[in-house]
Amino acid sequence: MGASRLPVKNLIRRPGRTAALVLLTAFLALSVFGGSVVVRSLQSGLDSLQARLGADIVVLPGSARSKVDFQQLLLQGTAGAFYMDADALEKVNEVEGVAHAAPQTFLASLKADCCAVKVQVIGIDPEADFTVRPWIEKSYARTLSDMDLAVGCKVTANVGESLKIYDQNCHVVAKLAETGTGLDTAVYCDMATMKKLLAAAEAKGVSHKLESGNSDVISAIYVKVKNGYDIDQVMAKLNSHVRKTAAVRARSLFTGAADSLAGISRTVALLAGAVWVLAFVILLIAFAMMIAERRREFAVLRLLGTSQRGLSGLILAETALCSLAGSVLGVGVAAMLIFPFTALIESKLNLPYLTPGAGTILALAIATVAVTVLIGALASLYAARRLSRTDPGTTLREGA
Amino acid sequence: MKKAILPAIIIFVLALVVAVGSQTFLGACVHEDGSFGACHWASRALLGVGGLLAALALAALVVPSARLGLYIAMALTCVLGILTPGTLIALCQMATMRCRALMQPATTILFALSLAASAVGAWLSCREAR
Repeated sequence: MGASRLPVKNLIRRPGRTAALVLLTAFLALSVFGGSVVVRSLQSGLDSLQARLGADIVVLPGSARSKVDFQQLLLQGTAGAFYMDADALEKVNEVEGVAHAAPQTFLASLKADCCAVKVQVIGIDPEADFTVRPWIEKSYARTLSDMDLAVGCKVTANVGESLKIYDQNCHVVAKLAETGTGLDTAVYCDMATMKKLLAAAEAKGVSHKLESGNSDVISAIYVKVKNGYDIDQVMAKLNSHVRKTAAVRARSLFTGAADSLAGISRTVALLAGAVWVLAFVILLIAFAMMIAERRREFAVLRLLGTSQRGLSGLILAETALCSLAGSVLGVGVAAMLIFPFTALIESKLNLPYLTPGAGTILALAIATVAVTVLIGALASLYAARRLSRTDPGTTLREGA
Repeated sequence: MKKAILPAIIIFVLALVVAVGSQTFLGACVHEDGSFGACHWASRALLGVGGLLAALALAALVVPSARLGLYIAMALTCVLGILTPGTLIALCQMATMRCRALMQPATTILFALSLAASAVGAWLSCREAR
């Protein structure tokens, strides 16, 4: 038998011990890879939301609930509807420092025929819009026309199919790219379609009229501030100039999500750190016990002519093989537990969640395997060094 | 002989998890108004497929002479189980719904693991037969 096959033979000969070491390193790799992927996905989700919103200021109806509802719509995809007078758009455009102002109108469908949740319908003005349109253009080169819908990636209606909203047949013309935010569960239409849907909703008893009786309504105005103007000053002007509305900085909408992300990142880092320290100590003890148990075997190998370096190499090779198998298993199990359940994780965390690209995931997996093998090798190195200091003849005479 | 039993035991446990889970902790969406969506019937079908798989695994434990054929039947049942939610029976149209976010991926993983165990079981049975 060649010396190169000895580590493999040793591992096969003691399946219980090998399985224990593999499981230990698998747990280590699972916690590190799983934690890293979740934190990276949350970070990507938040970045995606900030990029997707693309506005400096959002003007919402003055009611206390509207900001909370808007945040829930963005972060969790909770369907909501709140309205203000459509004239507010004109007044926003009059304010000095406003470069672009794009209105959106929201409508929560009744229980859709497809499933038990309400679907958020968002009406946009394709001429003025600078937030959703670039996103739609990635999937659909033409402009949305009458009764056309662009659906978020989590609405599993395909292009060419119809969706019935308030008994109105709408045609799905585009499926949008994933953002990892609540916007993925919404459907988008132009303002003409939205007016028809609002009328259909009114006929079904879902009123969107303001207290004044005005039915020409919008839900939010996205504002881009001109270069050289202070965003806070423009926001203050909007708040004083446009009545019954509240202008908020777009960044403030993510403060809560960013704080939650920081908290989750800290917890995951703390848990992963604790698992690493624990695993390192357990591996140290496990290897020390394994080497103490096999002292006679190693002494015989030394007397048969194996050098001290060769013996250390044998122990390192066994450890590396166990760590490699364990880390690959751990990464595989973590992948199986995380990637098929992204929608569930997102809904439980109530935060934007966008799985990173295949390249990033591969890099994370390789880094996890490399670090886990390194930790295993370091743990065995100490035991191997202790072994190399003992005399094989003494070991055999002692009968240890 | 003993080695060929182990995959059947694993499949039996996984099949029970599918059958019980599809009606409880992995169950389909609960509608507020008490109505049933398509996903409800998919979960009922999963109860049947999971039950069938458990019965086949049990048969493989007690009838050693038919083990190879039973493992092949289990593999085909697993394929049926994977195709049931979403392909053969429609689910809700929102990816965030419970049937899509939990029931479908969980049962797919359980059937995929059972499929792998069936393949190992068939290979071991084949080796024993020689």
